[in-house]
Amino acid sequence: MKKNTVTGYSIPNFRIRLASEALTRKLGNEYPVTVFFLLCGLMTLPLAAQKLDDCRTLSHHGKLPEARTCFARLASSADPYLRAEGLWGLEQFQEANEQFREALKQHPKSVEIRDRWGRLFLERFNKDEAKGLFEEALEIKENDAGASLGLALVAAEGYGSAAIHFATRAAELDPKMAEAHELLAYLALEDNTPDRATKEADNALAIDPESLDAMAIHASMDWLDDKKDSPWMDRILKINPVYGEGYSTAGHFFVLNRRYREGITLYRKALELNPRLWEARAQLGIQLMRLGEEQEARQQLEQCYQAGYKNAETVNTLRLMDSYKNFATFETSNTILKLNKKEADLLRPYIEAELRRAIATYEKKYQLKLKGPVQLEVYPDHEDFAVRTMGMPGLGALGVTFGSVVAMDSPSGRPPGTFHWASTMWHELSHVFVLQATNHRVPRWFTEGLAVYEETAASPDWGDRLDPEVVAAIHSKKLLPVAELDRGFIRPSYPAQVVVSYYQAGKICSFIAEKWSYGKLLDMIHSYAKLESTPDAIHNNLGMSTEEFDKQFLGWIDAQTKNTVDHFDEWKKQLKTTVEDLRAKKYDDVIREGAAIRDFYPDYVEPGSVYELMADAYEAKGDKPAARKELEKYSEEGGRSPLLIKRLATYQEEAGDPKKAAATLDRLNYIYPEDPELHKRLGDLWLAQNNLPGAIREYQAVLATKPLDQAGAHFELANALRKANRIDDARDQVLQSLEAAPGYKPAQRLLLEISK
Amino acid sequence: MRTPLLLLLGAALLPGATFYVTVAGLGGEPEYEQRFAAQAQEIDKLIRAGNPDAKVQTLFGHQATKAQVQSVLAAIARDAKPADAFVLMLIGHGSFDGIDYKINLPGPDLSAVELAALLERIPASRQLVVNMTSSSGGSRAALEKPNRAVITATKSGSEKNATIFARYWVEALRDPAADTDKNETVSALEAFIYAEQKTSQFYETQKRLATEHPMLEDTGQSDGTRKPSPENGEGRVASQIAMLHIGATQAAANTPEKKALLAHREELEQQIDALKYQKAATPPDEYKKQLEALLLELAKTQAELDK
Repeated sequence: MKKNTVTGYSIPNFRIRLASEALTRKLGNEYPVTVFFLLCGLMTLPLAAQKLDDCRTLSHHGKLPEARTCFARLASSADPYLRAEGLWGLEQFQEANEQFREALKQHPKSVEIRDRWGRLFLERFNKDEAKGLFEEALEIKENDAGASLGLALVAAEGYGSAAIHFATRAAELDPKMAEAHELLAYLALEDNTPDRATKEADNALAIDPESLDAMAIHASMDWLDDKKDSPWMDRILKINPVYGEGYSTAGHFFVLNRRYREGITLYRKALELNPRLWEARAQLGIQLMRLGEEQEARQQLEQCYQAGYKNAETVNTLRLMDSYKNFATFETSNTILKLNKKEADLLRPYIEAELRRAIATYEKKYQLKLKGPVQLEVYPDHEDFAVRTMGMPGLGALGVTFGSVVAMDSPSGRPPGTFHWASTMWHELSHVFVLQATNHRVPRWFTEGLAVYEETAASPDWGDRLDPEVVAAIHSKKLLPVAELDRGFIRPSYPAQVVVSYYQAGKICSFIAEKWSYGKLLDMIHSYAKLESTPDAIHNNLGMSTEEFDKQFLGWIDAQTKNTVDHFDEWKKQLKTTVEDLRAKKYDDVIREGAAIRDFYPDYVEPGSVYELMADAYEAKGDKPAARKELEKYSEEGGRSPLLIKRLATYQEEAGDPKKAAATLDRLNYIYPEDPELHKRLGDLWLAQNNLPGAIREYQAVLATKPLDQAGAHFELANALRKANRIDDARDQVLQSLEAAPGYKPAQRLLLEISK
Repeated sequence: MRTPLLLLLGAALLPGATFYVTVAGLGGEPEYEQRFAAQAQEIDKLIRAGNPDAKVQTLFGHQATKAQVQSVLAAIARDAKPADAFVLMLIGHGSFDGIDYKINLPGPDLSAVELAALLERIPASRQLVVNMTSSSGGSRAALEKPNRAVITATKSGSEKNATIFARYWVEALRDPAADTDKNETVSALEAFIYAEQKTSQFYETQKRLATEHPMLEDTGQSDGTRKPSPENGEGRVASQIAMLHIGATQAAANTPEKKALLAHREELEQQIDALKYQKAATPPDEYKKQLEALLLELAKTQAELDK
């Protein structure tokens, strides 16, 4: 289900700077009134507050040793709030936390203390506590801009669409709050809307001409546009010569745009300026891990860990790398395959063959030779895989691509029938080619759309179906304009939007291939490689504006889905009745109702599909040929339930069509190859059809599942090997069979036969 | 697991009759009622098919009352001899109050302590209780004793969810693959290993938290194990109880004129067993050479026997 697939990002590192510098400018000389009120609110001595302001100014200007001395003085203040700030500045987070608690005891109604304490929590990886404090602050003071900004930062961590709402509100509540505009600029650039990002960064600079983060957004945009140098970085460094955050902000955007190598370079630059930027170091380590450079990745992450920077990403990545000892690596001239040792014997033949086939196909299609080998990592434990996607936008992914490294779930990592591993692998490999062809300069919607398109191009029953959430989105006209489609992937505004966006992007590519040609998709790849925007790529290759394109695409997709969309409610209602009728054993009713609604929504192949209900009803009536036909349609439409597919194979065998039965079962190898029964049946069928290499592969798979019946499994393999005239191999296997069960007569007979 | 080969062959050849009793308790809901009854009936069918001379009794639905169970077990207590074997299989819902286990039956329930007292009167020297109900682990302490194998679907009485172990126990009796040593007899030990593995796989495959952990205890003094083996001493009694036969080895084995061949076969089997014990200490090529020679000789002997 590639709708769940994403390509890699890092998490935003913006929040740390906002937290540590939050009040620097606000408390500076430009806002004496704000300072005054803040200090009154805190009931703090103006002199002490001035010191806090001084410390932040020093920090803002990169005078870090002086700032440290200043914070140390604050840490011995009589006021717990100032002590908290001082300790925070000294990176004594636990102690700062205690002092905030103390400060709040003294001023239980203070929103400012809550805002600042929340920011400390946010910086120290505790989003929930931070959110709680910001919400408390808003309960006390509905119009508190600081708390709104805090909530925006919390939401921004998870790429939540609420981030924009809260940041906008903060900006409205406090028109002089530059940080709110800095964050809005950051979010806009994440959404790949540079115009809006520019505007918001300029808004921040209009309020605070020394807004380093607004300048960092400008610099990021320059570098993303392949400008070698950015005057904005020069400006940053004039204000703060050690402001590595400028580079690490850009690093985040490069990673977000899958330009990992350049992202790594930027993180390195950030650390050259300030080696204590732990988040930049952690991101450097994580990106190195993603690109398979494990040794340095571990070194960087361990450095973070030892310095007390133990966020979930750092700790989980180190744990993941510890688990690599459980993996076996298989290399060919153009592939590196990493499989968990416990399932390597089973999966390797299937995955390696498919990997080769996909690379050969894409090399032809994209007219491109990969520069190096593709590394494919397959994780049986979804949690291990999830570490690879931590901090990335989108849904829980199934596969992820980092340059030429692809990580994905193993078929054993998901319940049977819920995951098509081959489809996912082809999807991810398409990214590898497109990223190389564009030098990683491709918008998300396009690379995802093309990858979705390639799945069904590989095999029509692969790829995602039109699911109910997409039907609902089409019905309520929620598809995004193509120029804004990236937003649907990165910052969804409703729960199903990522799924809908994958579908839409895939269909856009289908539309282009159908209306123009597949070659136009290749032309668009080249356009993106030249850094053309989506409007330009569409205009230059398809000869129309994005507005016109959207109009034509919507007409096309409406016509394609009209039958399902128009009848969706009727289908849903009738499906319920059909299920009830099946329970009540009213088989004729099930067949009649099912036949009436099945083609309203042929793509629906989830559990309880019309195909399944009708097959059950036919089976109950003893009409197996009709049941078979239903399940054949189910399989053609992409149904993936191992139980139903095996049932179909049984019908086909019973109907005297073992070839079809074998083809049906072989389909399951790409969905759930962890089932020994599947391999045994398929092995038997192929052996009978004299497909000896196929039978041998399947019997080897049976053995790789470590079956209880070792003797039987070795014997069957031995038998197939003997038929293939591989006598020595057959002897080895039959001996292993008899070693497990010396009295096993069929194996004894085979041994006698091959020993003649 | 190293197979206790001679013991398993013994399961096929041991003299005496075997009494099989299956009880399917209350389902509570139609779905469970139906499922439990169907499983009991299928066990009945499979046991009869695999043991034409066996004494099989199956209680389900309204017949499966405490009084009826007591009556059936009392009759077996009268009829069974020490050389016989006795197998009791319980399907349904069970409960455990921290002290005693009860299987839910129509009318009064039957507790593990009451059941143990009934079994005590049965003189069969090899006994097996397969308690496949929820909370069945709570019955182990009351039922375990030397020479009685106790299989439970759950590890303890606190695993209260409906179990799926029974499904795989039935499958073990149906699937020839359960006969892992290929001696054409599915022993209780083989059936347990099969069903335990399938149960674990079910939860693992479905990505569900396992709510049952099947256990086997046949030393009469432990908490049981999920992986019986010669190393932990569990499985000896279970390996001596045949659940069903899937071949016709018995007739051949009892033919007087083939006694010499049988003795030779047994000798070869012992040598193979001994060689397998030495595997780790024997160079691989040497091991393979010796094994092949012995297996070939065994195959020839068996071919002679089968003539």
